[in-house]
Amino acid sequence: MHEPRDPAELLKAAAEDDQTAWDQLESRFGPRMWAVARACGLNATDAADAVQGAWLRLLENLHTIREPSGVGAWLATTTRREALLIIRKEPPGFPSFDVVHDPDPATVVLEADGSRLLWKTVSALHEPCRTLLQLVATDMGSQQVAMRLGMPVGAVGPTRIRCLEKLRTLISLQETVQ
Amino acid sequence: MINDEYFLAALRLAAGSDPIPGHVSAAARDAFGLRVSQAVTAAPADCAATRGVRGGDGPGMVRFVAAGLTFDLEVTVGDGLIDVAGQVFPHPGEGSHVDVRTPHLTLTRRLARTGQFAVTGLPPGWLSVVCHRPGLAPVQTRWVRIRP
Repeated sequence: MHEPRDPAELLKAAAEDDQTAWDQLESRFGPRMWAVARACGLNATDAADAVQGAWLRLLENLHTIREPSGVGAWLATTTRREALLIIRKEPPGFPSFDVVHDPDPATVVLEADGSRLLWKTVSALHEPCRTLLQLVATDMGSQQVAMRLGMPVGAVGPTRIRCLEKLRTLISLQETVQ
Repeated sequence: MINDEYFLAALRLAAGSDPIPGHVSAAARDAFGLRVSQAVTAAPADCAATRGVRGGDGPGMVRFVAAGLTFDLEVTVGDGLIDVAGQVFPHPGEGSHVDVRTPHLTLTRRLARTGQFAVTGLPPGWLSVVCHRPGLAPVQTRWVRIRP
């Protein structure tokens, strides 16, 4: 088995007309871009537009990405920006296209290779947070979550908010340590 | 609550419960075929006429400028399809033509003496125009999203 190619190497190869490298960028970062678009609250059609828009922006900037090794984060941030433009129904092209870096830990988790870290952090949470977040991650509805955890349905929402707050604090601490 | 939504999305991503649809991945891969070698990209430019291309409420203008060329695109969305009436100025020279592109369809038009061109019946979604000039680098507009 070959080692996975470095994102900077893939970007360079794509800029030199290598379709395989482009496909590998898509395999590596496409799922995360989709998650970013969905996280912004877009339906499937609009999320598809936001993701496609981000890839088209990459085509426009293939030779000018400042940090090629950070192309994954660039794609995720660009997807979020396109998603927000779609939500705000901005006319095309305005405002000017600047990628804004958001230091919020949630953004960092989703836009960096943070899935493993996130899952590890969830596993370290006390109950009911650990199970609740694992259930929520599989899109289980509030009623089913309540049944599984033996809590009233009305308590699921507030508990979820508290658990996400704990998760955010832990992730922030880990970011600080790193 | 977008931050919480981000965490939840990251959790779903890790759990694999909202995977990217196959057609979205395929479209991203096909997009590579839309690159234009050596092209200069024209950025949107503000002007009094270029306000409010939101579709459905009559035509709207978008202006792009680069490499000494200005593209004015008047976009109309009707019956679920897009019509574009455009002008490139100053005229890029004899033998020039434009490609009006969407990810699924490209239509080629010779420029009139006035630099004007028109296409009808494009599918909604992402749109870009490329001006090919003999002996000079092509100029492409940035991609814009047009939806009803």
